Amino acid sequence: MSKSNTQTGISAPTFWEQYRRKPLGMVGLSIVAVYVFVAIFAPFLTPYNPKQILLADRIAAPIWFRSVLPKYDDAPSTVRITLGPDEWAVSEATGGKLVAEELEGTAVSVIEFEPVLKDEDVSEGEAGLLEIEEYPEEPEKSVVELSHVVSYNCSPPKTFGLTFNYWVDASSDSKTELEFVIETPEGKQYNLWGKSCSGTLGSQPARIDSRDLTLKQRLGLTIFDDPAPRVFSSKGDYRLLLTARSIPGEEPTRVYISNAEFYIPGNVHGLLGADHMGADLWTQLIYGTRISLSIGLSAAGISVAVGTAVGIICGYLGGVVDEFMMRVVDVLMAIPTLPILIILGAILGKSVWNIVLLISAFAWMGTARLVRSQTLSLRERVFVESAKASGASDAYVMLIHILPNVLPLVFAGMVLRIPAAILTEASLSFLGLGDPRVATWGRMLHNARGFGAFTTLAWWWLVPPGLAITFLSLAFVFIGNTVNEILNPRYRERS
Amino acid sequence: MAILEVRDLKMYYKTLRGHVKAVDSVSFDIERGKALGIAGESGCGKTSMAVTVLRLLPSNGKIHGGSVKLDGIDIVKLDDEEFRKSVRWKKISMVFQGAMNALNPVHRVGDQIVEAILAHEDVPHQEAATRAEELLDMVGINPKRYKEYPHEFSGGMKQRVVIAMALACNPDVIIADEPTTALDVMVQSQVLKAMEDLRKRLDLSMMLITHDLSVIAQTCDNIAIMYAGKIVEYGNVIDVFDNPTHPYGMGLVKSFPNIKAERTRVRSLPGFPPNLLAPPKGCRFHPRCPLAGDICMEEEPELIEIGSNSHKVACHKVDMLERGVNIWEQ
Amino acid sequence: MGFSRYLLRRLGYAVIVLFVIMTFNFAIFRLMPGDATKMIIDPMFTPEAIAELKRQFGLDDPPLVQYFKYVGNLFKFDLGLSFSTRRPVVNELKERLPNTAVLFLASFTLTTIIGISVGVYTASKRGTFGDNFVTGAGLFAFAVPSFWIQLLLLMLFGYYIPILPIHGTMSAPPPDGFLLQFLDRIHHLILPAGSNVIVAFGSWALYTRNTMLEALGQDYIVTARAKGLPENTVLRHHALRSVLPPIVTLIFGALPGMVSGAVITETIFSWHGVGKYLMDAVMQQDYPAAQGAFYLIALAVVICNLAADIVYGIVDPRIRVGEGGAK
Repeated sequence: MSKSNTQTGISAPTFWEQYRRKPLGMVGLSIVAVYVFVAIFAPFLTPYNPKQILLADRIAAPIWFRSVLPKYDDAPSTVRITLGPDEWAVSEATGGKLVAEELEGTAVSVIEFEPVLKDEDVSEGEAGLLEIEEYPEEPEKSVVELSHVVSYNCSPPKTFGLTFNYWVDASSDSKTELEFVIETPEGKQYNLWGKSCSGTLGSQPARIDSRDLTLKQRLGLTIFDDPAPRVFSSKGDYRLLLTARSIPGEEPTRVYISNAEFYIPGNVHGLLGADHMGADLWTQLIYGTRISLSIGLSAAGISVAVGTAVGIICGYLGGVVDEFMMRVVDVLMAIPTLPILIILGAILGKSVWNIVLLISAFAWMGTARLVRSQTLSLRERVFVESAKASGASDAYVMLIHILPNVLPLVFAGMVLRIPAAILTEASLSFLGLGDPRVATWGRMLHNARGFGAFTTLAWWWLVPPGLAITFLSLAFVFIGNTVNEILNPRYRERS
Repeated sequence: MAILEVRDLKMYYKTLRGHVKAVDSVSFDIERGKALGIAGESGCGKTSMAVTVLRLLPSNGKIHGGSVKLDGIDIVKLDDEEFRKSVRWKKISMVFQGAMNALNPVHRVGDQIVEAILAHEDVPHQEAATRAEELLDMVGINPKRYKEYPHEFSGGMKQRVVIAMALACNPDVIIADEPTTALDVMVQSQVLKAMEDLRKRLDLSMMLITHDLSVIAQTCDNIAIMYAGKIVEYGNVIDVFDNPTHPYGMGLVKSFPNIKAERTRVRSLPGFPPNLLAPPKGCRFHPRCPLAGDICMEEEPELIEIGSNSHKVACHKVDMLERGVNIWEQ
Repeated sequence: MGFSRYLLRRLGYAVIVLFVIMTFNFAIFRLMPGDATKMIIDPMFTPEAIAELKRQFGLDDPPLVQYFKYVGNLFKFDLGLSFSTRRPVVNELKERLPNTAVLFLASFTLTTIIGISVGVYTASKRGTFGDNFVTGAGLFAFAVPSFWIQLLLLMLFGYYIPILPIHGTMSAPPPDGFLLQFLDRIHHLILPAGSNVIVAFGSWALYTRNTMLEALGQDYIVTARAKGLPENTVLRHHALRSVLPPIVTLIFGALPGMVSGAVITETIFSWHGVGKYLMDAVMQQDYPAAQGAFYLIALAVVICNLAADIVYGIVDPRIRVGEGGAK
């Protein structure tokens, strides 16, 4: 069968020729191309993946605000320092030293204290009484102070923290203390954390965070006070001091420190800032293209495919089938779309695929009506009669004769359905009905609303997702209108 | 003095590719109580001329010269408001081509006639309504149908309503643009007869535009044959039909089969009407004319009188034409 | 003759739609896998209460009997008891319906008036700034997510320049005196209704303008001008009148969409209405409440559609008087 069936026959090259000349259509196409590119190459466009959190402080602003808005002039960006053996300087060492070891591939700082031999023993008295001689003055503690200089030249941060794992290998009669102090450029020292033990201590995690109540109490602050701005109140060089003191026993005391990391979550981060969990907003935006494009395209595709099939079948076969289906269409069109999507979404589950199917289920009716009326007029055309006269079956006629002639209409319709699908999905996610694990633009707006963008005036969280949706929709509208102009001149705007 | 005197009227449409010279220096007269038929092929400028007289031009149409004198007053020179109030519909009205669409589907037909009256005369509504009913009666429609909507009438009756509407303000001149083209033959003759009666009764002058010469023959006193925006032959209907002199006019008249004459081959004129963006130099008909000579390609012929009764022809080769000889016949 | 038949037909459709929705509601909540009881009666009730309610709702009966009991209940306006508040859903809805109605009417009237006026006005001014503006606004209304604009407006006028209230239908506690209360309510209405108008008026303006343009290209407009009518009359009396049917269809056809959109608006502005009630119910898995709200919304939409059909029939004489021919 040659293409001569198509009465509105316009071949692909001619179509492209005409399309190229329409500026709006080309604009739309380029925009979509950009989005597709972004969707495909997302991992290359951002160093993070959408699941990473705690990259910065809550609702951090974009990093380039520093150059643009005076308020953010010296806002801190995230500071993350891994403190391995190489990073520590030994500022004081009495009776001990710092050694670097490697355990299971990680560099571990080991503070090693020499065993100190006791000069005098405690002597026993007679007959079982323990004579307590004057205990010699407290043996000197061996001290090893590790320090690291942090240059901090920003405005005071909201929080800071230090995490590390530690364990102590020592003889049972030893005493060991570990302390963490921050020294400001002015020389003031803040003692933030301390731990002491006798003998050996198994591996412990130390999670020092300026928001901890214990830390605040240690500093003599109430729960409403913020330690971080007090500690890091000025700009300059701060010293992180991790001090180990030990009264060693007979064996050398070893204090192991591994996976040490000092961090100050930044108030600015990334290209678009961070959300309430500290996750990168730019990453969410980029990865959002994948979902929006796939949902938009599949929902539009499915609904148009179903609508076309129903339209052709009803229009061609007529009779009871037609009557019945058209009533169904009428009824479906009378049901309010969003409420029913909400209810069905809530009951049937929130997966992405469900959303696509639901959206399609309530979007095919318009196409069906359009295709049906087109089929009705095509049915009377001579080429259909001649096909039937030569013995073609109904299915054959519908597929080979009617369908190609209906396609131009359908094609334009499908393109114009895509923005509607994207907007519906965005609305549903915004209301909280999408898959919470999937970062779509609608969900970004949902999070923004629910997790404090308003109170913090974080407009940079609100604006980009909406813009992303708008431009994508606009692009498809331009494309759809252009396609309509070319393929369906009847619908050209009257000038 | 003629009621309508048109002299050297020029109307061009401005398009992206230049001026389309739809009406190019057209002149004619319509006497009081007489009907002038304007004949020609599609695209020769007849409708454009009608629209020009009533100044109903689209935004890209403009009058580039000439005069239209109604009862001595040049109406081209009037400003829009003045023209609308005193001339349009009041002195000159129009029956449009395809009257089916000329009536607004959501208004009653009687109201549409009344509207025309009230726009020009300060009379009470009741009086206008009565007049509307009389007009309906005059065109052969039951006045009780005043309150009905256009979609309740058939094609021919709608046409009559439109005629009634055109007569609403007792105009001096009616322009009828293809009034019967969309109707079948029976209805056509009815409508024509109705128009004829009215014209005689009300002493109306009429400009009847059509491509159908038989209609002109039936109803008009004079005829002007248009070609490519110009009048090429003009005169009394009997004179022109009896003795069409311009080659084009001759072709047009002779191409209508005569049921009474002996059977001959019907010939169409070879070639196509010219592009009005760039019409041929000299006589616009020369590319298709068997008599064309050098002068025809250079100079535009003027309308010159031949014979009596102001029968005018625009042709350089008039002398070559013998009476009664059909130059198109083999 | 034509009209009453037409009317009856449309009424019939409305009833069928309601019927379908009822059945859908029934099926979705009772025929789903899992214990239907948990969806209708709050499992937190005492076993006796549950047993009693079960009887009342007929949950032990075979499906068909259940269905009839269900329909019967609906006619008695018995929509069940909300899980969260234990009050009859009907009462909750009754409280909230006026708020939704107010918001809806305000948005709807303003949008149509502004949109249509702008559309009519720019139809006669092709190619000017106003014209392009309308095309742009129409595009804007179609492609921009409405809830996003509402969020931005909320942030702008509720937080950044805090001149408008950020939630609720009125202040708590409400001010004294009728006038102050009335003004307070208007104050709260500005942002929700205003944002609706800003988002939506564009598509109305565009559609009106396009329809006007098409009407102005019709032959009877040329006739009207030829009759010597002033341009104003031509526009108002002829073009506008014939443009009314499609515009009226548009107005009423957009109603269901606006009803749906109300859900989003009410959620964003914490407007104490039926839409927010639906969202809250769905979030809290308060199934009777969700059902009830959905049913009310669907009912509203069906009524709107019916109203559309009626008005369309009145405005277009072809339907009213019936297709005729020569008499």
